[in-house]
Parts: sequence; C-alpha cells; structure tokens
Amino acid sequence: MKQFVPVRLRVEKNAVTRITRALNGRGTLNVRVGQQISPEEIIGSSTISAGFRTINLSSLLSVAPAEVERLLVRKLNQRIYKGELLAQKKGWLGKKIVTAPTDGILDFLNNKTGELRITFMPKKVNLPAGVFGIVEAVDQERGQIIIRTEVCRIYGMLGSGHFREGILRILSRKDELISKSGVKPEYEGNILVGGSLYLKEAISTAISIGVSGIITGGIDAGDYRAVASGRLVFPKKIDNDVGISIVVCEGFGSIPIGMDIFETLQNFEGKFILIDGNKSSVILPSFLSSCMVKIKSTKLPDLPKTGFSDTDRTTIISELKIGLKVRVVGNSYFGEQGKLVAVNDSLSLLPSGIYDYLATVETARRKIQVPVANLEIIM
Amino acid sequence: MSRLPGLFNSFDNLDQITPEKIAFWLKSVPEYKILENYLANRILYPQTHALTEFDMQIDLAILREALKNNSSIREPKKTNSLLGDNPFLNTTMRKILIPADFLNFVPNLLNLVQVFIDAFLLKRKRQDFFQDLWTIVLTGDIDEVVGSILMPQFDGNGGVIDFKIQNKNYKIQQGNLELIPCPKSRCEIAYKLEKGKLLGKQENAFEVYGGKLGLVVDGRDN
Repeated sequence: MKQFVPVRLRVEKNAVTRITRALNGRGTLNVRVGQQISPEEIIGSSTISAGFRTINLSSLLSVAPAEVERLLVRKLNQRIYKGELLAQKKGWLGKKIVTAPTDGILDFLNNKTGELRITFMPKKVNLPAGVFGIVEAVDQERGQIIIRTEVCRIYGMLGSGHFREGILRILSRKDELISKSGVKPEYEGNILVGGSLYLKEAISTAISIGVSGIITGGIDAGDYRAVASGRLVFPKKIDNDVGISIVVCEGFGSIPIGMDIFETLQNFEGKFILIDGNKSSVILPSFLSSCMVKIKSTKLPDLPKTGFSDTDRTTIISELKIGLKVRVVGNSYFGEQGKLVAVNDSLSLLPSGIYDYLATVETARRKIQVPVANLEIIM
Repeated sequence: MSRLPGLFNSFDNLDQITPEKIAFWLKSVPEYKILENYLANRILYPQTHALTEFDMQIDLAILREALKNNSSIREPKKTNSLLGDNPFLNTTMRKILIPADFLNFVPNLLNLVQVFIDAFLLKRKRQDFFQDLWTIVLTGDIDEVVGSILMPQFDGNGGVIDFKIQNKNYKIQQGNLELIPCPKSRCEIAYKLEKGKLLGKQENAFEVYGGKLGLVVDGRDN
C-alpha cells in the first residue's frame, strides 16, 4: 500500500539567490549595479548615534544641583573620552572626582537636578559585502544593496528575531545542553550553534552579551513563548524580536540538531553568515571565490519592484519510498534521521492502541521501527 | 497548502491550553515543562501518532481541553439557536457529534466518547431531564449512529441503577462509567434506580438508539 508523508526542505545547497545587505543608520553606498564584489570589500558606510547616558553629578559630588556647573572641568558641547576628568570638588576632607563613563559629547546639564547628559559620539560603521557576488540593485535612500550570490540555506522549524549577521561559532556537539556558562562574553556579535537545547539562562546571557543569533535543535515551549509574543501558533503573522535571532531546527524540548543541518554548519565554522529568526532560516554564503563562475552564469527571475521575494516553503506531501532519507517527528526517537529500509505490508498495533504501518529506518547508529505517520522525507 | 489529517486540526487555539489543565486529566503527572513541550510538538507536527499508552493519555487530555475551549468560544454566539454553534454538540437534538476520522488517532471509541462526555456533559447544568439521554453520532461522509449515553442523576451516595436490556440484567453503581452492548439500531431498556432518577423517573421503560458501540451509562458524579 502506498504511504504518503510530508516532505521537508531542510538544507538547500549551493543555490544562487539574492540577499540584501543594509546599512545600520544613514550613510552612503559605494557600489554600482553590475559590480562584482568579494566578502571583505567595504560596500558602504554609515554613521550611527547610539543615544545618550545621563549621570547625576549632584549626588556623585555631594553638592547642590545649582553648584554642579561650577565644578565641571569641561565645557558643555565639548568632546570627552572615557576615563577623562569630568568634574571635581575640593574640600577640607579631600577631593571628589568624577571621570567620563563613556566617549561622548557633554550635551546638556540640568541645573535643577544636577544631571548631565552625555551623548554618545557618532560612530562610523563600515558595511562589508560579506559574500562573493554581483550587485543587482542599489537603494541609496533605504541604504540597501541587493546582491546575487551563492549560498547554502538552512530551514529551521521555527524561530524568532530580525535578520542579523555574524561569525558562526559551534559551541558543542549536536546533542548537548547549553548552559549559561557556555555563552562567553567574547561571543558578542557571533551566531552560536548549540546542541539540543539552550537553557533559559543561556538565552538571557546571550541577549545581554550581544550575541547576534542562536541555532539550536530544540527550545522549551515556555522560552519560545517568551521570545515570540507569548504564542506557539504557526505560521506566525507578526515579526518578533527580543534582541537576538533564534532558529530552532527540530522542535520543542531537548532534541539534537539533525545531522544534515549540523554537518552543513560545521563546514561554515568561523565564517560570516546571516540568520533570520522570523523566517526560521540561516543563510550560509559561499566563501570560495570559484563560486563567482556559477553566480555570473545564473540568471534569476527579474527583481520584483518592492525588492526581493521570500522563498516559497509550501509543504508538500509525497509517497514514501525505500531508500529515501527520512526524519522521525513523533515523540519517540524524535529528530533521528536515516535511510528508509522497509515498510511493513500489514498494520501493527502500537502500545497506544493505534494501528499504523511500521517503517524501519537505518540511522547512523542503529535500526529503529517507527509508525509511518511519524516520519517526514527530508531534503 | 497540503495537509495530512491530524487529531487536532479542527482546533485553532491549542496553545492556550495550559500544562496544568492537561495534568488535571492524567493519573501520573510529569514535569509541566514536558507537557508544554509535548503540546507544542503536537501543534508543530499534527499528523503524528501517539506511540505509547502515556502519549495517548496526554493526547486525550489535550483533546478534552481543546473541546472545552471550542465550546466556550462558540456557545455564546447563538447564531443558529436550533443547531447551536458547537460542531461537536447538538443540544437541541441531544446529539454528541464525533468526527469519524478521530478514530484514526484514538481507535477506542469508548475512550473517545468518554472524552466528549468529560468535555461537554459532565459539568453541564441540565436544563431538563431530557438531557440525561444523548445520542452518539459518528460524523463523516455519512453520519452513523453508534449508540446512546445515559446519565442518571443520583441523590447522595451509594446509588445503584438496575437495567434490563434484551432480557439481560445489569447493575451499575454510582460513580462508575460502563458500556452495555446493544448492536441493534433500537434498544428497549427498562430501569430502576435507588437514590436517584433517570429522565425524571425512578423506574421506567423506553427505547434508545443502539449501534456498534452500545449504551454508555455514566454514573459518575456531576
């Protein structure tokens, strides 16, 4: 009897596609349409002002707010660098000094409260291409460039968070739990590949350190609710972001990252990659200059007027055939992958009382039998 | 989008079910986190089958809560007062409507009926004594009557109901739910209750729908 199961696209290898690179803040783009670019090339630069910091000099110097201005050693609107002397008070009992907590400009002093606002100095940020490719569109107004490039794309099951970029760092084996101590300060700006589950504290630490993204096998449903507007319903209609992008490859709970995805990620360790939590996808740009040959010779459909279109991820159902690569999605053997070696001709009674056809799957370590309903064909 | 059938495909708000509510229906309760992850994976992979007996118990607990949520969302609308808005319960005709494809995921029909009783009837305030009797219908391409539910109302404790069905006698104690086979399409029954009433009387004889399930007598407290 023919059996039908869902087909899941998980890893798309060496696909020529379009990616968007965008400036962070206002700035200029230095490339033109048709230009060939390499990863280290600076394709634009922008200036970002990241806000301000307020310090209460009145309380730090133990003086009345009206006296603060007299004790400042720098004038308002002057630049100051972190650690430089900002204000001092001399008295019979000694001297009190306050140094600048950050680089910035002395912006405003409130004489009624004694609070000084230091505006952070505008910072110039360069935008590297990050990929080999050909520029297809330049939008100076939005600060966006569309590049035709070659990538591997990974599709997770769910995720959260805006489009981000960073250097890929593999933290553990595919089946390990990641605790708070596993997320170190030097991972700021990186995209971390974890094992089967990031514990709640590890996710919080990653956010506070400034990690760009997390790729994991599983996530606890409660933690997912916390980063996804409190809902579990799929597909989501709203974009979420809590300051980090998360792509969950398998499902809920502790589930090792599938071998297909983990092996692909291992090939990109230390490389520049992109992650889009809200689309549950990871983009791994090719780091070989030889990919330019394929990029040049591949023509993509015309760009839509609004930019570039999302990848179509319609679920398809297909007949289960011996030899296909499959993945277990039921509660037992969750996430295991292997080759389908047999499907029973007759129905079997499961311990749950359900009748189903049993399939034999040969994984890397063993042969397992699972109900056909709990399988997906993977690509 | 193509979609394989699943037990919970009919329900939109599964993620509103709390692990505490699922745990209420389980004899042995695992960590709430495990129940929450189980439910989330059921939403993510709705086509999968419960493998173990315990998986099935969790599925049935989720189904009870999903049905309850479904009725609480739909009942206040009153757009069709004759049929009601709940697709699983017709209060006017006193029918429990069970989609036949649920049997692919819960093959034990008695378990499925009990889930529907727990969700819709057990705590239901009875407006009249006719609500002691419900017909069980499997819905699909063709609707099939598979039996009836009798819900005697006992006074106090230690109640007993004696049934005579097709020349056989049955004695059912208060607090029990039992199945009495009655494969014919109509069954004549006679009953006598101590400490309680059924259809407003302590003793009576009448005819109910039978079928491949039979008569479910639910003497549990409600």
